[in-house]
Amino acid sequence: MKRSVAVLLLALGAVLGIAAPAQADGAQSGADLHVAQTLGDRDLTVIIRRVAEVPGPVHVDVVTHAGSPPGEITLTARAAGAASSTAKVVLGAGPGFYSGVVQVDRPGPWELAVDEATIPFVVPALVSSPWENTTYGGFIAAGLFLFAALLLAALGRPRLALVPTAGLVAGVAVAVTAALLSPSIPPVAAPGTQLDPTFDNVNDPYQRTSAVDFSRPPVNLVPTMKDDDLVLSLTDGSSGRPVDDLLVHDSAFMHLVVVSPSGQLRHLHPIRTAPGEYRARLRASEQGTHAIAAEIARRGGGVQLLRSSIDVSGSAARPDDGKADLKTEIREAGRPSTITAGFGRRDLQPWLGMLGHMIVVGPVSGSPVTAPIWAHVHAMIPPAPGMPDKPDESVAAYGPDVPFTYSFPLPGKYLVWIQVERDYSVVTVPTVVEVPAGKGVSEK
Amino acid sequence: MKRSVLVALAVVVAVVGALIVLWPRGVEAQAHLAESAQLRFVLTPASTKSGVNSFDLRITDRAGNPAQGDEVVVEPAMPQMGHAIAPITAGPLEPGHYRVGDVGLFMAGQWEITVSLSAERVVIPLLLT
Repeated sequence: MKRSVAVLLLALGAVLGIAAPAQADGAQSGADLHVAQTLGDRDLTVIIRRVAEVPGPVHVDVVTHAGSPPGEITLTARAAGAASSTAKVVLGAGPGFYSGVVQVDRPGPWELAVDEATIPFVVPALVSSPWENTTYGGFIAAGLFLFAALLLAALGRPRLALVPTAGLVAGVAVAVTAALLSPSIPPVAAPGTQLDPTFDNVNDPYQRTSAVDFSRPPVNLVPTMKDDDLVLSLTDGSSGRPVDDLLVHDSAFMHLVVVSPSGQLRHLHPIRTAPGEYRARLRASEQGTHAIAAEIARRGGGVQLLRSSIDVSGSAARPDDGKADLKTEIREAGRPSTITAGFGRRDLQPWLGMLGHMIVVGPVSGSPVTAPIWAHVHAMIPPAPGMPDKPDESVAAYGPDVPFTYSFPLPGKYLVWIQVERDYSVVTVPTVVEVPAGKGVSEK
Repeated sequence: MKRSVLVALAVVVAVVGALIVLWPRGVEAQAHLAESAQLRFVLTPASTKSGVNSFDLRITDRAGNPAQGDEVVVEPAMPQMGHAIAPITAGPLEPGHYRVGDVGLFMAGQWEITVSLSAERVVIPLLLT
C-alpha cells in the first residue's frame, strides 16, 4: 500500500511538472513602436516600449535630435478619450534619450498624447489561442487519466483501469494533433493593423471575421498654411470622412517631403492633432510654391503617395549642406543605377529604421511640382541574426558606405537628396543626376 | 519474449515515422528555368539560405546552342520590401556558361532575380530561407 501511494505521488508530480510551465509562454506579443514626430520646433522620435503587463506601466522614450530646444513635454495616456495618467518629461539641451512612464489599466486601443500630438497605439491582451488551450488541455486530461488509471490499478481493479487508460491515449492524441497542426493555421486578422481596434476585438483576437479583403479607399490630401505650420487634411476618397487609420510604417504615420522652389529638401513627420488632421512646422521657409508629397499607409495594407503643392510666404532659404563622397553608376532609363554615398567613419545611426534614405524628384524642367517621378529609396540596416527588434538610434555603428539602387524610369535631370543620421543630426546631401535615354531594351 | 520484441518493433516504427514526419526540410537548391523570346536561361543558386550567394547560369538559344554574349547582368530585387541591390555583371566561363559570384542576398524571403543578356531579359523568382 505504501508503495502504491509513492507511485501515485510520483505520477501526480509528473502531471503537475508538465502542466506548470505551460502558462509561462504565450505572453510575447507586440513590439516597440517607433514614431518620428515633427512637434513644433523639435524633431522627436517617440518610442513606446512593449507593454509587459496590464494593468501596468508603459515606458516611453523620447529621443531628441541636435538643435532641439530644451524644455518640458507632457505625456498623457488616454483610453476612449479619458485620460488615465500623465507624466512630465524634461528634455535637456543635448540630444539623446529622455524617458517617462505612463500607466495603462486595460488592454485595448489607447492614445499617447505628447503635448498636442496624439499617437494611437494598441495595448494587446494576453490571450492564449484555442489550439494552445487544446494542446495543454489534452496533456492535462491525459495526466489526470493516468492518475485515475494508477489509482484503480493500485486499488486492485486492473480491468477497470483500462477505461482511464483509453482516455489517456485519447488526450495525448488530441494534444499532439493540435500541437502539430497549429503552425499551419492561418493567423487571424490583427486589430490595429488590419482591423480597427476596439476593446472587444483586442480582448478576443481569435474571433474570426468574415472580411477577406482589408484594403481601404485612397486618400485626398488638402494642404493649407496656418502661421508657420503646414496643416494637412486627409479625407477618405470614397466617403469624404476624415482618415484616422494611418499605420506607423517606416517609423512614422506620414513621411512628408517638401521641396522648395530652389530645390531644398525637408523630410518631416507631421503630428496627428485631430482625426484626419496632421501638421508640421516649416521653419525658415522660402517664398514660393513648394512641392509636397506624403507617404502614408492605411490600416488594411498598402502604402500610398499623395502629391500636392503649397504656396508659402517666407524669406529665408536654408541650403542643404551635407557632404559625402558620392560614387555613382548611372545606367540608361529603366535599368538599375547605383549611387553609393561614403560618409568616412563607421558611426551612422539608424534613422527611421533605415541606414539611409534617398529622395528622387524628376525629371525636372521647371518646378519640382510638375516632376512626373517622385521616389523614396532606402538603404537597409543589415539584419542581425537573433535580434527581432530593430536597433534604435542609440546604436551608432553603421556605414560608412550607404548604397542605393534605383531604376530611373525616365531619361532627364533628377534632383536627388541622400539623408543619413550622425550624432543625432540628420545630414542631407543634395546632388543632381542626369539619366540617359534607354537603348531600346525589350520589356520582358 | 515475443511480446517484448513486438513492443520494441512498435517503438522503432513509431520513432522512424515521427522522424520522417518531423524532420526539418530545407528548400533544395534547384535549377530555375525561364525563357525569353530567343533564349533559354537556367539559373542554379549555390544556396537557398540568405547571405552571400553565387549563381550558375547556363544560357542557350531555343535550339540548345550556347548563347553569344560578353556579359550577363543580374539584378536582384526584393519586391515585398521595395528594395533592389546593385546589379552584378559577369563574363562567360565558356560560351553560354556564366558564374555570378558574391551576390549579397542579405534577407530571407522571396527575391526576384532579373537576368539579362544583351537585349533579352527574364525574371526568375528565388525563395530564400
